[in-house]
Amino acid sequence: MHVEIDEIAKTFGTTAALHPVSLSIPSGALVALLGPSGSGKTTLLRILGGLEFPASGRVLFDGQDATNLRVQDRQAGFVFQSYALFRHMTVFDNIAYGLHARPRASRPPKAEIARRVARLLQLIQLPDIGTRYPSQLSGGQRQRVALARALAIEPRMLLLDEPFGALDARVRKELRQGLREIHDATGLTTIFVTHDQDEAMELADLVVVMSMGRIEQIGRPQDIRARPATPFVREFITA
Amino acid sequence: MALIQRSPMPGLGLSMGITLTMLSIVVLAPIGALLVQGAGFGLAGLWDTINRPRVWAALSLSFRLSLLAAAFNLFFGILLAWVLVRYRFPGRRLIDAAVDLPFALPTAVAGIALTALYAPNGAFGSLAREIGWKIAYGQWGIFIALVFVGLPFVARTVQPVIEEIDREVEEASATLGASRAYTLRRVIWPMLMPAALTGFALSLARAVGEYGSVIFIAGNIPLKTEIAPLLIVIQLEEFNYNGATAIGLAMLTISFALLLAINLIQIWSRRRIGHV
Amino acid sequence: MSDTTLPRPLSAVTEPRAIRLALIGLAVGGLILLVFAPLAVVFAEALAQGWLAALASLGNPDALAAIRLTLTVTAIAMPLNAAFGLAAAWFITRFDFRGKALLITLIDLPFSVSPVVAGLCIVLLFGANSALGGWLVANGHPIVFALPGIVLATLFVTFPFVARELIPVMIEQGRSEEEAALTLGASGWRVLFTVTLPNIRWALLYGVLLCTARAMGEFGAVAVVSGKIRGQTATMPITIEMLYNEYLSVAAFSMAGVLTMLALLTLLLKTALELRHADQLAATRRH
Repeated sequence: MHVEIDEIAKTFGTTAALHPVSLSIPSGALVALLGPSGSGKTTLLRILGGLEFPASGRVLFDGQDATNLRVQDRQAGFVFQSYALFRHMTVFDNIAYGLHARPRASRPPKAEIARRVARLLQLIQLPDIGTRYPSQLSGGQRQRVALARALAIEPRMLLLDEPFGALDARVRKELRQGLREIHDATGLTTIFVTHDQDEAMELADLVVVMSMGRIEQIGRPQDIRARPATPFVREFITA
Repeated sequence: MALIQRSPMPGLGLSMGITLTMLSIVVLAPIGALLVQGAGFGLAGLWDTINRPRVWAALSLSFRLSLLAAAFNLFFGILLAWVLVRYRFPGRRLIDAAVDLPFALPTAVAGIALTALYAPNGAFGSLAREIGWKIAYGQWGIFIALVFVGLPFVARTVQPVIEEIDREVEEASATLGASRAYTLRRVIWPMLMPAALTGFALSLARAVGEYGSVIFIAGNIPLKTEIAPLLIVIQLEEFNYNGATAIGLAMLTISFALLLAINLIQIWSRRRIGHV
Repeated sequence: MSDTTLPRPLSAVTEPRAIRLALIGLAVGGLILLVFAPLAVVFAEALAQGWLAALASLGNPDALAAIRLTLTVTAIAMPLNAAFGLAAAWFITRFDFRGKALLITLIDLPFSVSPVVAGLCIVLLFGANSALGGWLVANGHPIVFALPGIVLATLFVTFPFVARELIPVMIEQGRSEEEAALTLGASGWRVLFTVTLPNIRWALLYGVLLCTARAMGEFGAVAVVSGKIRGQTATMPITIEMLYNEYLSVAAFSMAGVLTMLALLTLLLKTALELRHADQLAATRRH
């Protein structure tokens, strides 16, 4: 799905979190929103997911205005920084949650739900953990379950907030590769937020560097490395 | 493992001595006296005392109304906790402090105040009388007094749980397409349930044993509005120690059962979620 | 989907405004009916015949005796309870022994027992017709229908307050600070006064506060053991009952007003403690 961000601004109280920003994300891209904390990258991601509403500006999904579309109707697969797994449900029930929550008319039959969950568990390469609870999983496993849960609703795009933030270096490397593979397999427009420039440069097709509520530069990793547009970008990517 | 592990900490003898001595004199010996008296009376004697219409009526009245009051408090306590944690409105701090008043206000004071309010000539009682609703000196009055004394339990056990809910969990549910009602039912309620049930059991235990706030508003008519604790007091005033013991043992059994239930709820929720 | 006239929700994850307002209304309304109105009624009834009548009723010798007795009982029960709570918390959190869970359950037991049953237990143990009670009465030390019985009943119903405030706080703080003091050569009492007490002082005060409020207001257990002798064993709550049953409404509510003000003061201090020293108070509280 093609995502168009048109002059989006957001204020919290009197502080501006986002000055009007515009951004066009082609269908099927893997995009990193890169910046230090407070740069507005998470706010932008949450606006795309329908978890915050902009003060002005529009969000267009495939050319259609989605600015006031309810979060429930966006079909945006969102992976939270804390993963936000439902700790009183098994891994199976976590992944099946979005399908169970559908109105009766569009809810798949039980067998179909079970089949889809099994397929997603295959995809994240954890086929045997369906009966476990989140508290029994490692950090890396939780992250992959959160990803599978977001994919279960057949999202139109995938949004990830610091997806590797809480993991140690070795697991992080492994999961980066996993996300790349899942992106290539599903072809979903994927946007992730990170403050780690290595991660953004290594994983993304397109990197959006942000600072203090503004977009500093948009470009392919090699272009940003070769020609940083502002002193901030130069400093941030060499840090 | 030795009974007491060696430790460099000072004060073992003194602290253990004070603890066990006070516990024995204040709690264990008196409760032991009740058990000994009951044993001396014999099972048949106990049963004959309890198995009288007046005693059955009092026990079932106490338990039934306590159950209803605790159920009301379960609902109202969750409502209070939710409103206090999640919403911002003028006077919130006052409301928060007011939830604790039933713990701080002496029960006798609560009893006469509620009676003055809900009696047929009281401020609310006279309004109720106009629509033919008698509150004080009937079962409704007992219900209100029991709701009052049990009010803080559910609210105060549930409140910290709501505070700890990670907002991202609710957001995750919404991004997966769940309606607000579905999120409340399938995500929030399972998290609150262990604490809510604990509060319910605490509120129930308190209500079953409550005396001071109830006797003024109850009417105290045998077989109709006479609660079990009052019956114990009446037996004691008649120096019928065996009768009082039998009813006291029945109530102690109910208390222990509730205490056990609370502990089982907590063990169960710890197993299910990994922590309380 | 392109309809931009849809109203914007305030937040993605809260209830609609109408429902929020309704829930706030229910909460406030319920508390007005159950808590605020009874509070107002106490003072309205006390002052029904003016300030002078209310004050005069409190100056009555029996009323003064009741106030004195309640203060005496509280003054005895409170330090005993604080000492017990401190000893029990020290024993439970600073040593490892078998049966710890059982001990904690036994300390909590009084919260689950009806005050009337507690009074009954004390009467059965120390009453004149029991072996122990008969011997005590014969030697001139009656317990039931006298001050010791009232103190004992008060201790029973307030028993867990201080201990259950201190135990979670002392578990959380661990033993390392006390161990450090010991390695530096401090004696046991010095460790208690210079390391432990400063760390737990607000939690201790909090427990003592709850214990005091309950001690002054206890009715059921005291009603059973006191014998309700006017001017001798009638505490303030018992006096309220007697005055109320004699239809002396102003006198009953005046005394109730005094206890209500003490309850409000307790709540005020409790709220202040929670606001200023939340970090030092137990995170999990229920009772």
